[in-house]
Amino acid sequence: MRPLPLPDPGHPPLTGPWAYLRWLGRRQIGVLLGATAVSVVGNVAGALQPLALGMVVDDGLTHGLSSGLWSGCLLLFALGMTQVGANVWGHRLEVENWLRAAFASSQQIGHHVTRTGDAVTDTLPTGEVVATVASDALRMGEVFSILPRLIGGIVAYLTLGVVLLTISPPLGLLVLLGLPVVVAVLSLLVPPLQRRQAAQREATGRLTTLGADTVSGLRILRGIGGEDVFTGRYREQSQKVRGTGVAVAQTQSFLDALQTLLPGIFLAVVVWAGARLAITGDITPGQLVSFYGFAAFLTQPLWTASEAIRVLTRAVVGARKILTVLRVPVAGHDDPATPAESPDAGAELVDERSGLVVRPGRLLAVVGSDPDESARIALRLGRHGGDEDDAPVSDVRWGRAVLRALGLTEVRGRIVVAESTPHLFTGTLVDELDVRGGASRDDLLAAMRVADAADVLDSVPDGLDGEVEEKGRSLSGGQRQRVALARALLTDAEVLVLIEPTSAVDAHTEARIAQRLAEHRRGRTTVIVSASPLVLDAVDEVALVEHGRVTVTGPHRTLMTTHPGYRRVVSRSDDDESPEEVTGHATARR
Amino acid sequence: MRLPVAEASTLRRHTAGLLRRHRRSLSGVVVLHVLAATAGLAGPWLLGRLVDAVQAGTTTATADRTILVLVAAVLAQTVLIRYAQRAAMVLGETVFADLREEFIATVTRLPLSTVERAGTGDLVARTTTDIDRVQYTVRFGVPRVLVTTATTALTVVAALLTNPLVALGLFAGAPLLIGVTRWYLRRATSAYLRESAAYATINGTITESVEGARTVDALSLGARRRRRLDADLREAFAAESATLNLRTVLFPGVDTSFVLPTVAVLIWGAFLISTGHATVGAVTTIALYAIQVINPIGELIFWLDEIQVGATSLARIIGVADVPQDRTEGTARPTDEQVRASGVRYAYRPGHDVLHGIDLDLTDGERLAVVGPSGAGKSTLGRMLAGIHPPTGGSVTVGGVPLVDLPLDGLRGHVALVTQEHHVFVGPLADNLRLADPSADDGALERALRAVDAWDWVEALPEGLATGVGSGGVALTPAQAQQIALARLVLLDPHTLVLDEATSLIDPRAARHLERSLSSVLEGRTVIAIAHRLHTAHDADRVAVVDGGRITEIGPHDDLVAAGGDYASLWDSWQRE
Repeated sequence: MRPLPLPDPGHPPLTGPWAYLRWLGRRQIGVLLGATAVSVVGNVAGALQPLALGMVVDDGLTHGLSSGLWSGCLLLFALGMTQVGANVWGHRLEVENWLRAAFASSQQIGHHVTRTGDAVTDTLPTGEVVATVASDALRMGEVFSILPRLIGGIVAYLTLGVVLLTISPPLGLLVLLGLPVVVAVLSLLVPPLQRRQAAQREATGRLTTLGADTVSGLRILRGIGGEDVFTGRYREQSQKVRGTGVAVAQTQSFLDALQTLLPGIFLAVVVWAGARLAITGDITPGQLVSFYGFAAFLTQPLWTASEAIRVLTRAVVGARKILTVLRVPVAGHDDPATPAESPDAGAELVDERSGLVVRPGRLLAVVGSDPDESARIALRLGRHGGDEDDAPVSDVRWGRAVLRALGLTEVRGRIVVAESTPHLFTGTLVDELDVRGGASRDDLLAAMRVADAADVLDSVPDGLDGEVEEKGRSLSGGQRQRVALARALLTDAEVLVLIEPTSAVDAHTEARIAQRLAEHRRGRTTVIVSASPLVLDAVDEVALVEHGRVTVTGPHRTLMTTHPGYRRVVSRSDDDESPEEVTGHATARR
Repeated sequence: MRLPVAEASTLRRHTAGLLRRHRRSLSGVVVLHVLAATAGLAGPWLLGRLVDAVQAGTTTATADRTILVLVAAVLAQTVLIRYAQRAAMVLGETVFADLREEFIATVTRLPLSTVERAGTGDLVARTTTDIDRVQYTVRFGVPRVLVTTATTALTVVAALLTNPLVALGLFAGAPLLIGVTRWYLRRATSAYLRESAAYATINGTITESVEGARTVDALSLGARRRRRLDADLREAFAAESATLNLRTVLFPGVDTSFVLPTVAVLIWGAFLISTGHATVGAVTTIALYAIQVINPIGELIFWLDEIQVGATSLARIIGVADVPQDRTEGTARPTDEQVRASGVRYAYRPGHDVLHGIDLDLTDGERLAVVGPSGAGKSTLGRMLAGIHPPTGGSVTVGGVPLVDLPLDGLRGHVALVTQEHHVFVGPLADNLRLADPSADDGALERALRAVDAWDWVEALPEGLATGVGSGGVALTPAQAQQIALARLVLLDPHTLVLDEATSLIDPRAARHLERSLSSVLEGRTVIAIAHRLHTAHDADRVAVVDGGRITEIGPHDDLVAAGGDYASLWDSWQRE
């Protein structure tokens, strides 16, 4: 079996579900053909076994251990063992087909979402994207695993058709035409069952949500009470689920009964007709037994056919959902065809909308009466957030070039914006930190020291080589933020923009981080959005943003003494307080 | 700390107890299935008789009578299967509903200290993944195991009744069947668990890539995330290959064991016919039985496999009940509302104290700020003061009674802990508030919301208090969620509050608004605020600086600043103008 995933994921057509399925099929055509060949052999071997059994009944049983017995049994055994071999080999190929199609789709989706930026979350809820991998990709697998089985079944059906018609045309016709009718009738009963099952799944889904919700909030529940209310609620929904389950049991048991009744009656008709032919001598008793066996065998390919229809329907729906994800444009898709000339290392970065000027090599803090506004400016500096409120594309200038006229890859490589609550990913701490690759352990430890994150090394087993759990759940809020800060520092970006990097750490730690950060980034362009005096005091200069515009720029201490508006924002006092109260801090909020 | 998983013996006892509780319906199901399986055996038996009759020369009337019996048997089987299946499925639903309701009842009664320390991740997994797995087993597995076992056993019995000597041939494949199945079952569970873990990892990776799409873009992590997914897919492929290899042994083994009986019955039967111990019809019947029994045995093996996986999940579900309660209610009742800690020590691991004998007297209505570096033991101290963990040394009392001796309902009326964690429960907003006081009417809820400055936005919701919130409902901002948490506190009305960085994860702008909400909640209560913002400390009556598990400085803000210690230098840099 060829190891998966394939090194080259390829480029599927995005025109429609059928084109996508065809593309998948072409990429695994060899396995598909192999599986089909094996399936044909296995199915035909299975189909012919009742024939051999009938031969034994006729010629083998009445003369002791005769040659007729031995040859019949040998044939039966040979057919049986052929089927055994085809089953296992076919199963292996079937699984390979399944894995190829399912993994190729998972890989397509998984790779694509790493290229889109937040366009993907703007277009689709996370749950839906995950569902394309968790469920729709598997539907692609189903198509290609059932296809060979379907073809094998059809060939077996046709082969038996010839055999049956040769032995007895009327009985053959009865079996070949009657059986599809029986299976078709049974297939009609599947949709109502599936509807009830869907209702049950939905109720179960709600119950699971309710359970997960109760447990997620368990600390609160245990802290303030309400356990009985919640167990009561859960029990109520649980009983609803039981109700839907009973409804499914009604339909399902009815369907099960019909699955016994219809083939059973059909078999009785075959035996009845066969017995008459046998009594008149048109067929032998052994052939009667064969017909009984054929009728039992043939339900299998017919069920496969009816299942294949369902699988294909589901797969087309699934392929559509996969395509919805794959059609989300990648970040930088709107890059100019010929990017502007790269700004030099010493270029000035200017946000024209707010008037913020980021001078090279300086440590600049941005503080505003509205932290959201300051954060938006910071995001703009890194060309994040798309063209919100029909802003002119020439908003940010970098040296002589307009930021949007540069290639996105260049912008991302040179300007790094780290948000206040960035995402941590599962993996070792080393991998988490060293995003650009190639940092030495000393570099990592130095960055951790700047972010004052040494305690993280103690709390993660195995330190730097230890695993950070999903979303950094095993770390506290403050620890997560400090790891993210160290990670941002390690990008060693030419321009580093940090949004509220210390909002979740205590004052002692914040003071240390502010000092070390200033030290670490000395001489390199750095922008920090923060309202903390501990941070503002450590930077070269501070820009105050009011109502979307920079109103004053200068060192923290100067502004504190000369600019009452600045003091008001930094001291976090209420806007309506008088200046005496603000400076004196005498009557802070109670 | 990890939550316990039930031992095999507990698991067996529990399952037996569960079955005993449903003894009556269970025996009904078994009887119905046995009858249905019996009716299903008529086909081969009648066909065998027909073969004998035809060979002996018979009339169409005899044949017609035989077919009528066959039709009657099919009809009987149809009706029996209908009721047997329904009863089995209803039983499965009932047993499973019992199981999950019991589980949730147990979980919501877990000791506070366990919940605080184990976190909720493992419990959520048990509530979702494990419950789902057991559900599949119970809902579909139990009925099918009953059917297939009954059918297999009865087919063998019928064969023995038809001709015991010929029927011996049926067992030709048994040694191989049993051997290969045992080999497989011993290895299957861990292999399939690895497989499902691999798929869960893939889903986790995709979730992370999507949720962190902004970070991926900002830090150019795309290539790294793609490598991660490819590695996950490689692991899933390895896991799939492993289970496939197991089946590559199982399938031919089992299939061969199905081919052998048919051939053995025919050869052995032919010999017995020649010695006059059997008829052609009997041999035909038993050969057909040998074919007919293939499907139920195959299905049974499939379910044995699933049941093994289900059992590991069941062990995790019932294991939660093994957590011992951490407090025993005393009868003493507090004489006043004063909280006092004396010589409090705490160790998460024996010998590694994180608190080294803390003494603290709180006066009624006082506001105490606790500051100190991360890892100093502030949060642990907060949990002791809120009565969540029993201290390993010393005591925390209210009105002279240790907090951990109070019944939980009583404790909540005295001291409450508010953390940075907030959770909005799925359901109407009003239900979210009534947790704290089930008897509160809408007026009381409105007053509580007004107190935390939240009434305006609640009133503006589409259905006011009745609006569905939480996952699937109206999404609340973190600040709104925190206001809901505060409104609960107003309803709960404890005289002492422990705030553990209650506003730290909220963006600074919202935090300011929230602090206003908070201050109205704090009015008239004793407050211990674990803070990382110094202005909170400045506002407090007293400040306690905790470092290395000890209180290094304590006193009013001005005194500490005047004393010129650690706190003073920090305040200086914060306040410098």
